[in-house]
Amino acid sequence: MKYTPSLGDILQARGVSRRGFLKYCAATTSLLALPPTMVPRIANALEQARRPSVIWLSFQECTGCTESLTRSSSPTLEGLIFDSISLDYHHTLQAASGEAAEAARHAAMEENMGNYLVLVDGSIPLGNPGFSTIAGISNYDMLMETVKGAAAVVAIGSCASFGGIPGADPNPTGAVSVKDLITDKPVINVPGCPPIPMVITAVLSQYLTFGQLPELDHLGRPVAFYGQTIHDRCYRRPFYEQGLFAETFDDEGARKGWCLFRLGCKGPITYNACATMKWNGGTSFPIEAGHPCLGCSEPGFWDKGGFYNPVSTTDIGSGVALAGAAAAGVAIGAAAAAMSRRRQKKTIQEG
Amino acid sequence: MSSIDEITSPVPYVRGNVEPILHEVVHALDRLLKEQEPTIIDLASLPFAPGELETLESYLGSGELTAELEALGPSQIRETAYPGVWWLDHRNTDGEVVGRYLEITRIPEILMSQDADITAGRARLGENLEGFESGRSNGADA
Amino acid sequence: MDLLDFARGPAMQVAIYVFLTGSLWRLFGILLLQRKPDYSELRKTGKLRAALKVIWNRAFTAPEFRMATRYTRIVGYTLHFGLFVTVFLFVPHIVFFKGLIGIDWPGLPNNVIFFVGVITVGVGIAILIRRMTHPVLRLISNFDDYFSWFVTMLPVITGLIMPIRFGIRWETLLAIHILSVALLLIWLPFGKLAHVFLLIASRGTTGAIIERRGART
Repeated sequence: MKYTPSLGDILQARGVSRRGFLKYCAATTSLLALPPTMVPRIANALEQARRPSVIWLSFQECTGCTESLTRSSSPTLEGLIFDSISLDYHHTLQAASGEAAEAARHAAMEENMGNYLVLVDGSIPLGNPGFSTIAGISNYDMLMETVKGAAAVVAIGSCASFGGIPGADPNPTGAVSVKDLITDKPVINVPGCPPIPMVITAVLSQYLTFGQLPELDHLGRPVAFYGQTIHDRCYRRPFYEQGLFAETFDDEGARKGWCLFRLGCKGPITYNACATMKWNGGTSFPIEAGHPCLGCSEPGFWDKGGFYNPVSTTDIGSGVALAGAAAAGVAIGAAAAAMSRRRQKKTIQEG
Repeated sequence: MSSIDEITSPVPYVRGNVEPILHEVVHALDRLLKEQEPTIIDLASLPFAPGELETLESYLGSGELTAELEALGPSQIRETAYPGVWWLDHRNTDGEVVGRYLEITRIPEILMSQDADITAGRARLGENLEGFESGRSNGADA
Repeated sequence: MDLLDFARGPAMQVAIYVFLTGSLWRLFGILLLQRKPDYSELRKTGKLRAALKVIWNRAFTAPEFRMATRYTRIVGYTLHFGLFVTVFLFVPHIVFFKGLIGIDWPGLPNNVIFFVGVITVGVGIAILIRRMTHPVLRLISNFDDYFSWFVTMLPVITGLIMPIRFGIRWETLLAIHILSVALLLIWLPFGKLAHVFLLIASRGTTGAIIERRGART
């Protein structure tokens, strides 16, 4: 049986002190949004964890999710997650291409049958297999073949989780999500456009640490990061409650940091960790930068009636349709009145 | 403050998150004194408004002891102006913050020398000493 | 399409169209009815002025009846005032109206709205109890009375539940709230709730008629 080093072995071999390891565990615990009292348990689990094989499949995507993830870490600390996994296939990042790359994928699948993780970003087009192919293999075929021996599938980004931008109206490629296609393997959705990079690494860390999938909500998202709305954790919430809103970009209210509800913020209906974990290593998030939340971790966020239309508005349709409805009302009223008049006249005539 | 600062730093909502945390610290200090139980507060898990974290840090200030740790990047472990209340700042080799904690304890665990490291160091020292011994017996200068 | 998309989209659109069509139907259906010819002599001539005057002063009970109507008057005014504040002075609602008619106005803080909303529900329940226990009201109340009460109170109640949550997801509560408003809009033109716009026509007509007859307006 091939010797697979545990994370503890790897760190020791790299000369990482126990203090360094504790620091890594503290960062991972924080990343997993677990209470600090869990650090010893995490340390114990990580020390003994084996490196899982990971196959990353990129389909109809903009590569933003991969960019987000590779920006998220320095190679030594949180990036240890990638030292702790064996990224056996990632056609954007890897050096090999074409047949050699596909051979590597098959080798990883065979060696780790039943135990490897499949990470997917991008949606899968069902309209025509030719819309998106890798090495001549359609996305659909590659997905179905690769997940056969997978322990679990992680759909990274809103495209893989819900169809994303390719799936937006009118969905010309027939784009579907991973969950639409995979029903016999556990699927974790990590949506966002892109997802917060630390969330991606945290989900992987969680799998690595506990060897099991995190608790998921009804849309398959880890509750630890998608359990609260932006609105519920937003630091501008007191302004919402007091009725202080920015009316336009860069007006007085905007400069004072007031609530962006009137500018179309979808925070109340969006579940993500942006308000707590924030972006760029905890620097800021869209609302803090003055832009309303787009709701990018929710299904169909491109088709929710406009980024700058507030949550409480509705689309009333065209002016022509409204005029038609009004005219219909007047016509029916006039007809009813005419009927009444005729009846009245008849009654008078009949004495 | 320059005008850019005025635009990008709205009035810090000081009462928002800072006060409750300070109350939590007081309770934690009581627990430490009475029950000898330490408390760790993960500052990354709290939604701070812009400027609030800095307000908290400057409020707690610095005490007598500051330790610089170099392990997978720099970390600073600092006792604040309130003894028993420690501010831990963990960064990676790029200088990015990867963890921020308040520990209410007599000494944070990470400051103490760890068993695994002591064992490894003792082994190293033993080997080095053996090297001296064999060097002397080989006729090297005493 | 999830429940919220349905509520904000097709449901609300249909409701607004039905509201528009229905309101104009009823309004014109009444205005275009044949007027009874008045065979008596004209006593006074200021019919339009009287119509406007009566539209205004019928909002205030005539002194002779103030004592007898005090319960209904106080409770009724509180209910209408409460509905006005919660519907028209809550900023997310103002934004909704701005999307429809393009006009904007300032609102009140959320906790004030919530407080008024709670009072509105309390008064609404008081009104229902009166209708169900008062010997005369109980006899003459029909489906329209009870259903109109229901479709009016439901948006207020569902709106109050939204900040309280009871553990339900916010977007679900919002969808239910919007659907309750859609129901109100669909029913409004066809029952007694149509008084919101018919009131003006009926009071004005009464004013013109009694002015013509020379009675006190």
